[in-house]
Amino acid sequence: MLVPSLAAAQAPTGVRGTVRDSVTGAPIVDAEVTAGDSGGWVAHTNGKGAYELRQVATGTVVIHVRRLGYQSATRTVALTPGDTVRLDVVLVPVSLELAPVIVTAAKRSQLLDQAVTSVALVTPTDIARRGVTRVDEVVDKAPGVQFLGGQVNIRGSSGFQVGIGSRVLLLVDGVPAIQGDRGGIDWDLMPLDAIDHVEIVKGAGSSLYGSAALGGVVNLLTPEVATGFHMRVRATGGGFANPPDTLWRFRDYTGGEELIAVNGSYGTDALRASVTVVGHHTDGYREQDRGDTWQVAGKGEWLASSSTHVRATGSWARHEYEVPVVWCEYGGCDDRGLAYQPFKIDTAQSLGAYTTSSKSLFAATVDHVASPRLSWMARGSWLRTDFTDIRLPAGESSLADRYGVELRGVARSDHDRVSTVGGEVARSEISGDAFGNHTMTELGGYGEGEQRLGGTRLTAGARVDYVQRDGGGGTAVVSPRIGLVIPGGITWRASAGRAFRAPSFAELYPTSCLPGGLCTQANPLLDPETAWSFELGTATAPVRGTRIDAALFWTEAEHFIEPAVSGNGLEIQFQNLERARIAGLDLSASGAAWSNRLTASLSYTFLYARELAHDTVPERPLAFRPRHLLTLAADYALGPLSVGADFRYMSHYERVELYSPAIPLLSPKVLDLRATVTRGAFEARFVVANALNYLYNLVPQTLVPVRTATLSLVWSY
Amino acid sequence: MRRPALCALLIGCSLACNGGLEPTPAGCPSGFVGICGTVTYRGAVPESTDVIFTVAYETFPTGTADLFKFKPSLPPTIPAGGVPFHYSIPLPAGRYEWVVAVWKKLGTLNPNGSNADTLLRAAGFYRDPTDTSKPGVVVVGTGPTNSIDFVVDFAHMRRVCDLFPCP
Repeated sequence: MLVPSLAAAQAPTGVRGTVRDSVTGAPIVDAEVTAGDSGGWVAHTNGKGAYELRQVATGTVVIHVRRLGYQSATRTVALTPGDTVRLDVVLVPVSLELAPVIVTAAKRSQLLDQAVTSVALVTPTDIARRGVTRVDEVVDKAPGVQFLGGQVNIRGSSGFQVGIGSRVLLLVDGVPAIQGDRGGIDWDLMPLDAIDHVEIVKGAGSSLYGSAALGGVVNLLTPEVATGFHMRVRATGGGFANPPDTLWRFRDYTGGEELIAVNGSYGTDALRASVTVVGHHTDGYREQDRGDTWQVAGKGEWLASSSTHVRATGSWARHEYEVPVVWCEYGGCDDRGLAYQPFKIDTAQSLGAYTTSSKSLFAATVDHVASPRLSWMARGSWLRTDFTDIRLPAGESSLADRYGVELRGVARSDHDRVSTVGGEVARSEISGDAFGNHTMTELGGYGEGEQRLGGTRLTAGARVDYVQRDGGGGTAVVSPRIGLVIPGGITWRASAGRAFRAPSFAELYPTSCLPGGLCTQANPLLDPETAWSFELGTATAPVRGTRIDAALFWTEAEHFIEPAVSGNGLEIQFQNLERARIAGLDLSASGAAWSNRLTASLSYTFLYARELAHDTVPERPLAFRPRHLLTLAADYALGPLSVGADFRYMSHYERVELYSPAIPLLSPKVLDLRATVTRGAFEARFVVANALNYLYNLVPQTLVPVRTATLSLVWSY
Repeated sequence: MRRPALCALLIGCSLACNGGLEPTPAGCPSGFVGICGTVTYRGAVPESTDVIFTVAYETFPTGTADLFKFKPSLPPTIPAGGVPFHYSIPLPAGRYEWVVAVWKKLGTLNPNGSNADTLLRAAGFYRDPTDTSKPGVVVVGTGPTNSIDFVVDFAHMRRVCDLFPCP
């Protein structure tokens, strides 16, 4: 309908003007102004909202003005040779469903659909709706993620390893938070009330993050501190269902839990700070299951200039809890003639067991934007974990400090190319009688570039890590990754990357004995485990408000570190498996209807996890991996009231270890219900987790939480 | 939209209502392959007791080299004394000549078994019903084999070198 003979027009002609906000009148920066249907002439508004299109063809020309967060505008101007026409445009701000911005997949900001690997998001809305108390309860609900005895498992990367040697890297605002001694994750390190949202990157992440990012990366992101004074108080109280059968009763009262969380913040244009304090007590749902948790988290920000941002964060948590260790089987307690008593402890192994655990993380980060094309970040961090386990016949303890520094630069050489380069150094020092006294130094250098070819984004990069233990000889590992994203109505992505994990001290030098007399044996010769991961994924939004994401993944692992029974059958030792293969499908779909009053999501993961044949061992399933994992969620909001439900199904494990033959292998089906009422600054949330009281265990002789009803009252200022 | 959501909820509820752990009387669980029985204890439990395992041998060991050729590779443990204990040993189908409870003294067992005679004792074993002086042969089929009962007698535990000549 426009642009008569643009190509034919040659005389220098121009259009200039300003773009302003229709409500505030403020100039709009970086609005895109194009002339012609094919966008042959392009300009962007400057800091004063001004633009100029030069040497535009003559005739009737259509001008398009676009800016994220505003309704696009179209104008028609008539240009004669040599003329410069003034065209001022006002844009109307609109609420848009913006593509989420993520920061974890490429160690820089990008849109979700630009990531070469699958990324799952847990939004602030998700966190608020579920009304849970701990961070791991939130991560557990993400598509393709599963928790086994406190250990996170993404796409079958991890089985059950009593919480040590995590194959998923935990970050807090991008700062690694993996224990220096056990290589595991303290999920109570950060209070949930200090978390804004969570990004979960699935698949190999070592090309940017190094060790531990073998199966994925979980990044807990704290909120930006707002200006002014803000406060939020959450009080939660609830109770656990009693055992459904009198033969399983273990106490004559109903157990409960209580939590109080207070969050306050104050900010000016230059200085901002927030602090969160949480106290939590639980009676537990089993015998000898009481626990107390205290958490403090703080954040300070100094916006030194428009281009420099200094941030300091700190968190401290202390958790004292009784440990049921394992439930009792016939003869191990007052069994009442039953094969096992899932609510009662094995008095020979668990009586009096408890743990005190403290952990803290401090980090300081400087972000500086040197120019529109160059920015850099520097950070230092200190993670301390300290635990004492009191067990029969003796206890053990360990203190671990992990110090880390990182320097990273992001260069945007033009609109088509982005390069990320950085280096990281970490040193772990551990002491105690659990794993001995040791040190580990990790050096890593990485680089990744993204090149746009038309709409297609090509990514390639690698990281080189050097890991040295106790000052001895080190191990060098190279972790490359390539990726591709083809945008469109249906976005396609593909990636191939290598990942690794260095063995933790808990795997190298365990000295403890497990309940039942099985002792762990040291294996200082453990090699790092490595894996090549491949992914082919697609995402689309067939209808406004919906999103479908599917991915096929394939991991070929070498030297997987798994617990194995030693030759004499009396000790457990961590050993390198020859080869393992994990393949499958990850599918998630979400949608909204009735003006977003109804939201629903579905996620399904199919897993094929095998330890490949070697020596005399035939091919067999990897232990503690389910073949099917299905999660359904739905929420309906009507005015101040909203109700919702989660349903999760997991097929039974194909193979288990250390599992009593008396316990049936179950396929858990768990339903959670929730309701929220909002009135002004007040909010009440009622949650019934495991509403149908489906009783099951995921790891040997450990009952998962029974039906738990909680009421939370939230006040925000 | 309302009807599919309701259907999904009902399907979810009906699935979740089915199953879960239930009180199970002591005995071989259904679907289990292996042997089950009751261990009865006699005598005073030695203070140096570390742990007691239950294992099965396809052929009776005739030397130290055979000592660790038992099944399963990760042997289940039983309580050291107390009330009669219902044990179970998961085993592949086959013929087993010796089902035995192995008492282990506190200490580290060498992987080659060189100190087995010091640390291990045969505390009790399943006996042939027709001649209780001999071990009883157990045949495991495709399901549970019940009532493989025996006594652990802490007062009459047998050294490894009583079973076969030690080097």
